Amino acid sequence: MSSLEKNEQVETTEKSGPAKKKTRVFDETGKRLVREMKPLRGWILLSAFFCLLLIGCAVATPELLGSLIDKLFAWAKDPQPGLAGSLLPGIGILLGIYAVQGGVTYGKYYLLQSIISRFYCAGMRIRLSDKLRRLPVSYMDKTPAGDVIDRMMDDVSDMADSVYGIVDILLSGFLQMIVIAAILFLTDWRMAIPVVLLSPLSVLLSSKMAGLGENHWDKQYELSGKLTALAEEAFTNYPTTKAFNREEELQRKYDALSERQQQSGIRGHFLSSIVQPVIALVNALAYIAVTVVGGWLILHRGMSVGTVATVILFTRQFSGPLERIAFGLGYIQHVKAAAKRVFTILDLPEEPDPSGRVEAPTRGRVEIRHVDFSYDPGKPLIRDLCMDVQPGQKVAIVGPTGAGKTTIVNLLMRFYDFRTGQILIDGRDVSELSRAENRKLFAMVLQDTWLFKGTVAENVAYGSPEATREEIVRACDCAYCDHFIRRLPEGYDTVISEDSTAVSSGQKQLLTIARALLADRPLLILDEATSNVDTRTELLIQKAMDRLMSGRTCFVIAHRLSTIVDADMILVVRDGQIVEQGTHRSLLAQKGFYYELFQSQYAI
Amino acid sequence: MRKLLVYLKPYRGRIALATLLMAVSAVCDLLLPTLMADVLDKGVYGAAEADTFGYILKTAGWMLGISLVSLASVAAGFWVVYHVVAGYTWRLRSALFRKVHTMTLTEVGRIGTSNLVTRTTHDVGTLNWIISAICGEVLIIPLMFLGAVILCMRKDVCLSLIILVIVPVLIAAGMRLGKKIEHLWELADEQCDKQNDLVRERLRGIRVIRAFDRERSAHEKITDATRVMAENFIRANVTMEIIDPAAAFVLNTAALLIVFLGGVRMERGSGLTAGDIFAIIQYINIILGAIVAVSYDIVMLPRIKVAVRRLGQITESTGLEDERPAEGLTFSGAIDLEHAGFTYPDSSLPALSDVDMHIKPGEWVSVIGGTGSGKTTLAELLLAFRAPTEGVLRFDGQDAAKLAPKDIRANVSCSLQKSMLYAGTIAENLRMGRPDATDEELWAALELAQVADFVREQPDGLGFRLEPAGTNVSGGQKQRLAIARAVLKDAPIYIFDDSFSALDFLTEAKVRKALNEKLAGRTRIVITQRVVSAMHSDRIFVLADGALVGAGTHAELLESCSIYREIYLSQTGGGAA
Repeated sequence: MSSLEKNEQVETTEKSGPAKKKTRVFDETGKRLVREMKPLRGWILLSAFFCLLLIGCAVATPELLGSLIDKLFAWAKDPQPGLAGSLLPGIGILLGIYAVQGGVTYGKYYLLQSIISRFYCAGMRIRLSDKLRRLPVSYMDKTPAGDVIDRMMDDVSDMADSVYGIVDILLSGFLQMIVIAAILFLTDWRMAIPVVLLSPLSVLLSSKMAGLGENHWDKQYELSGKLTALAEEAFTNYPTTKAFNREEELQRKYDALSERQQQSGIRGHFLSSIVQPVIALVNALAYIAVTVVGGWLILHRGMSVGTVATVILFTRQFSGPLERIAFGLGYIQHVKAAAKRVFTILDLPEEPDPSGRVEAPTRGRVEIRHVDFSYDPGKPLIRDLCMDVQPGQKVAIVGPTGAGKTTIVNLLMRFYDFRTGQILIDGRDVSELSRAENRKLFAMVLQDTWLFKGTVAENVAYGSPEATREEIVRACDCAYCDHFIRRLPEGYDTVISEDSTAVSSGQKQLLTIARALLADRPLLILDEATSNVDTRTELLIQKAMDRLMSGRTCFVIAHRLSTIVDADMILVVRDGQIVEQGTHRSLLAQKGFYYELFQSQYAI
Repeated sequence: MRKLLVYLKPYRGRIALATLLMAVSAVCDLLLPTLMADVLDKGVYGAAEADTFGYILKTAGWMLGISLVSLASVAAGFWVVYHVVAGYTWRLRSALFRKVHTMTLTEVGRIGTSNLVTRTTHDVGTLNWIISAICGEVLIIPLMFLGAVILCMRKDVCLSLIILVIVPVLIAAGMRLGKKIEHLWELADEQCDKQNDLVRERLRGIRVIRAFDRERSAHEKITDATRVMAENFIRANVTMEIIDPAAAFVLNTAALLIVFLGGVRMERGSGLTAGDIFAIIQYINIILGAIVAVSYDIVMLPRIKVAVRRLGQITESTGLEDERPAEGLTFSGAIDLEHAGFTYPDSSLPALSDVDMHIKPGEWVSVIGGTGSGKTTLAELLLAFRAPTEGVLRFDGQDAAKLAPKDIRANVSCSLQKSMLYAGTIAENLRMGRPDATDEELWAALELAQVADFVREQPDGLGFRLEPAGTNVSGGQKQRLAIARAVLKDAPIYIFDDSFSALDFLTEAKVRKALNEKLAGRTRIVITQRVVSAMHSDRIFVLADGALVGAGTHAELLESCSIYREIYLSQTGGGAA
């Protein structure tokens, strides 16, 4: 995807500018970027060879064109017949070189684009994806999905520019510059001096100006973020805005911020766009110097006009790679920032995973012994949690919304590791089991239904990929899904996804129950909350959940009083902590938070 | 597109100025080779032998002057261009923002808020980019081409024909190729979106994926999509990269042709000089540079198309609100729905149908039902966000359709379902409904909503700054602040749509009690899913699948309404007396 990136790179540099701090190009991140290219060695060498060929063409053409022009000037001085004929051999050779040049240029692009896209970008993305498999859930919980996606997509493509940059900018740019400088000096040192002296000036100027523009870009970037947030707020709050008649006030706020954002953009844009013209001016100075020196040499030292013409043509070619290098060196900071973000993910500590397996069929006894846990070391959440759940018993977790009822789920499923204590299933310490083996003991139905893009059958069979169609249909029938699945345009083969409107949110919940039924695990984790569900579907969901619970050891995030009253054990959660533990009766007798919670439902 | 360009109108003069400045610079760039040719021809071989070096110096001075003029005019040109672009962007954004607030809720919902946000940010940015590219790069190309042709014509008509033919052919070919590339880029972008969706899906489903040990298959799916994406990008690039070498080859060949034909014509004595030929070759190089620069912009074409189409959804939207000014009516609080119903434009089933509801001034009623039941639609009817598609809604006996929505909203205070706070201080948020409220009144409202303690704990108290959409307070605090704001507004009718869902029962009971004391005598409509929120009100309306299936007190409904009984039993297990 590199040429796209080549274009976007201009945009992104404009946004962020080259990095502020003057760091060395090849610091740790720089070195690692190069190391990452090792598998591409062969391809890079080949494209470097192409670059060399191109430099050869670039050097040969002004020379040859110059000699043709020389012939024209010579003829002007001393007209001889057969001028046109004498031009033909040179023209033929040049035509050949141009053809080679075109072909090789295309070949180089092709090579670089494909190796970069196919092997570098794709390879890096696949490695990131693989890394995700081994990262703890806590990483996903605290990292917004957009952030991971940005790193996987945008940052990786920025990194790919480093391949392009190293081959095309550093390698071919420097080589071309050196060769051309050498030729300029060999052709005539007196004309070479102004060219070689003036060109670095253009590099200096351009990097200075890019630096100046950067502050404006930072400012604009920040204001853009604010503007987006304001628009987001305004549009999601539309009904409230209208109900309280706040449109005009919001409009004023938005316009004012938008104006500030645009104003800071003007300077940034301006500075970046005059870099090119300033370089052009410096080039023109070189050009003029060559003309003056060349003119003098022709007049007083009898130099041929063709030589001057050659130098002029070389002057044009000398500044090209210089500009590229100046741009590239600034850009590489941007690339390195992207690479750093990608490397951060690749270097994250992975979740340790023991290899223990479950040998005997599980009956479903769960003992929790003195478990301590917290998400944030400073804020202990669960302290000394103990319980003994017999096979087939039901544990209800209750508490106000947002109190942290899912913490228990996180521990049982080993999405998070507890600090001290033990969880035993049928007497076996789970920390000896591999996470996958541990999780295989549980079926899980969360409030936050998750369907992936795939057919209904694939979604239901997610926990049991080998299930036959008959088994899938049976599970769906049990979970009251069969009737609505059959009404879908392609029945069990209808493709659904998270945001498909073909199934309602209640039906999605039923599908996840069917998924758990089909997986048929000895232990069950269930969130009873049903949101966005109409009354009839809610009743179906409850019936399906009851079926699912029967005969299994269950941990239920309970929302129904019937579940709570029937539970063999109730955990009362408040502000993330388990504050009370017992049966319905014992907890009521305790007259604590549970009692208060229970009573408050019926107060006026 | 035309609608989007309207905002450029005030800048016509400045765009012309910018183009002129750019043109001056382009002409200067073209004059340099001409002067160089003069130096070579006249200075070295011409008649001014007496002071040839002086002539060279003089011409060099001219070249320097022209270079400076070129830089000055291009810098001035860019300065103007970016002011135009900034002004244009500002106008466009402002107009879009305004337009969104004149659209109906139905229309806002149809387009979707996140889409509206991308339109005003990302899509406007794309347009901003293309306008600066057009003013800064594209407009000069024809000028440069024209200038080069004119200069060539002066030198030699016959040779200039080569440029005159080749450049347009090259541009036409480039455009044809551009069409093809555009399509390839569309495909590539599509694949990129698919990949994004897959990663997002996987991250969202991390618990389920791990619970069922399916990480491997999730990884494989992404691996496959990544490979396909790479192939698509390669295909687009491979086609795109033809432009650069092909254009270079054609123009270089043209240069050779000019050398040869120039030689032929010199021999025939057409007055053409070697310097002229040299100059023409340089013009070609300049044109080549410009064409290659623009060819890279082709990548953006599909995105521009998408941006224009998406912005059109807003600018061309016809679902507009009734913007009549308020007449300053004051309602008593009587509300009558007579066989009222509402069907969403893209749906065949009504969201509400045949609802007959008569609410007396000062009555406290609850509306209970699940999410699909139509209760939020009902709130939206009462706030004049939607007009009933069947039946009539009346306030004090007057048909709501005949009233200005602004009048209705002035008489209805509300606390709505989701995210309802704004960036700014708590005081600013509270004063939305009553700008002249004193601090004491604010505290009283906060006290009522059981959120005064939280505000007191903040170092800035009422001056505590909320982030956009109130993201720096919890869901429960947001709801309570919204309740305080609703109470602060003085109105005959109050609507609380799902306003207690994030509160625990204890807090809810306290809020409910305080509300009943404070708002006694005002019409109160509590919309909820929870029986406990509804069971104590004067009357309860039960909605299911858009129909009113029961109305009466808690006790009456337990007797007569099976759905209410089901909800009640399922939520309380029958434990409540």
